[in-house]
Amino acid sequence: MAIEKPVPVPNADDRQFWEACKKHELCVQKCQACGLLRWPPSFLCPQCHGKESQWIPLAGKGKVYTYTVFHRAFHPAFEKDVPYVTAVIALDEGPHLLSNIVGCAPDQVTCDMPVEVVWEDRQGGHSIPKFRPV
Amino acid sequence: MSLKDKYAVVGIGYTPQGRVLDRTALSFHLEAISNAIDDAGLKREDIDGLICYRHFPSLPGENDVTPYLVAHHAGLSPRMMSQEANCARSQLINALGWLDAGLCRNVVISYAHNPLSASGGFFGMGTDNYHNAVYGHFGAPAGYAMAARRAMHTFRTGPDTWKHIAVGQRKWANLNPAAFKHGEPLTFEDYFRTRWITEPFRLSDICLITNGGRACVVTSVERARDLRRPPAVIMGVGEHNPSTDINQSTFMAGPTGAKIAGETAFKMAGIGVTDVDACQIYDCFTYTVEITLQDYGFFKPGEGEDWFKDGTIAPGGRMPVNTSGGQLAEAYYMGLTQLTEAAMQLMGRCGDRQLGPATGTRTPQIILCSDNGNILQTHATTILRRL
Repeated sequence: MAIEKPVPVPNADDRQFWEACKKHELCVQKCQACGLLRWPPSFLCPQCHGKESQWIPLAGKGKVYTYTVFHRAFHPAFEKDVPYVTAVIALDEGPHLLSNIVGCAPDQVTCDMPVEVVWEDRQGGHSIPKFRPV
Repeated sequence: MSLKDKYAVVGIGYTPQGRVLDRTALSFHLEAISNAIDDAGLKREDIDGLICYRHFPSLPGENDVTPYLVAHHAGLSPRMMSQEANCARSQLINALGWLDAGLCRNVVISYAHNPLSASGGFFGMGTDNYHNAVYGHFGAPAGYAMAARRAMHTFRTGPDTWKHIAVGQRKWANLNPAAFKHGEPLTFEDYFRTRWITEPFRLSDICLITNGGRACVVTSVERARDLRRPPAVIMGVGEHNPSTDINQSTFMAGPTGAKIAGETAFKMAGIGVTDVDACQIYDCFTYTVEITLQDYGFFKPGEGEDWFKDGTIAPGGRMPVNTSGGQLAEAYYMGLTQLTEAAMQLMGRCGDRQLGPATGTRTPQIILCSDNGNILQTHATTILRRL
């Protein structure tokens, strides 16, 4: 039996993110006090220590801030994907999100390359946000 | 009151290292600690502080290496004890705090690990965060590769800079019979031939995975005068913990924690980079050496390639770096690889790799050390001198 890729294990802080992903919506928290959009999910605004926040949808567009090409799988479920790219996406609204770049060869990826979200469905009804060149 | 010149490293504990299989991590801790105490000319009963670096998960069937376990088996019941749960690098500064508060007289610091004995391989950190795992993002090499890639986008750097670090340190390792890579020379061509792991890092950019242990004893300079070894006196220390996860970090291309940690240590020591004779720089990856020296002020962003070329850091060079071979080529003991090598060099005990006339370098009066943890999230600087 093939080894499955890891799926999200939502917790009380990030459950709403993954629930939104199931609907193919990329959401982050907005601080009710100072308006900062924050990622990763958290109880507290790191900027003003505001405790109230609201989940808001983002446009799903941004630029590659940085990336690395995995030439070796550190987990057996990713062996068939090598070489593959993990990247930090600087979303247009501000937050930086770790994801993958898909839809182009690894050697075509560059920093500052414009990208947009695409969705990969996994077992358990989960959907994972990935990014492709615009 | 300043800690300058009050405390010193006075004993070093080594163990067999490298591919030394069929040994528990605990056994390496115990051997290193016992040897460090003996090297200092102290006795077990003299040790009243124990600090263990972070431990990685133990191998199946082995005990979790807590400081209690280490103390129990080393016959210690220290007044003070600690261990970092993750990668924070306050070990030496904690020891100085205990000594300066009068809580302890002699503190031993140790690290040990036996990852080469693991059957399923070892990938360090990054497997504990499912937000990374769902994307196949695992391990420290990937996190530092992200930082290195951003640096390549920000200023002139890349493999043509890092090759000088890998090759220079390997030359030191070939003067150190205990180094894991002793007897395995590395040329620029060899460097470029090694395979990609997490691009832009090749295998030659990545620190070793080794079995073994390392420890040192820290005490006051006053007590050190009566001990066996000449003390390696601590002139300055500093630390900074930027803390932000690498995925949200905007300091990947500097300034990292090295900037504030370094400024703090240099201010305490009352010296500048031009007073430094050699460096022992935490080298989990080649890029870490570059960004650390850059943030300390040895060169400006993008000038690293010119600064490193022509063997600057190698035997015979004007600024020797990682003279044991470092973590790229000697062995991996977190920040103790650097701290113990600095102390050994200042004590004049380094044999063929001894800084001074034998290696065409300056006889060291002052050595600068760095320690760095997680993915550039914590940084500690130590400046040591000969008494």
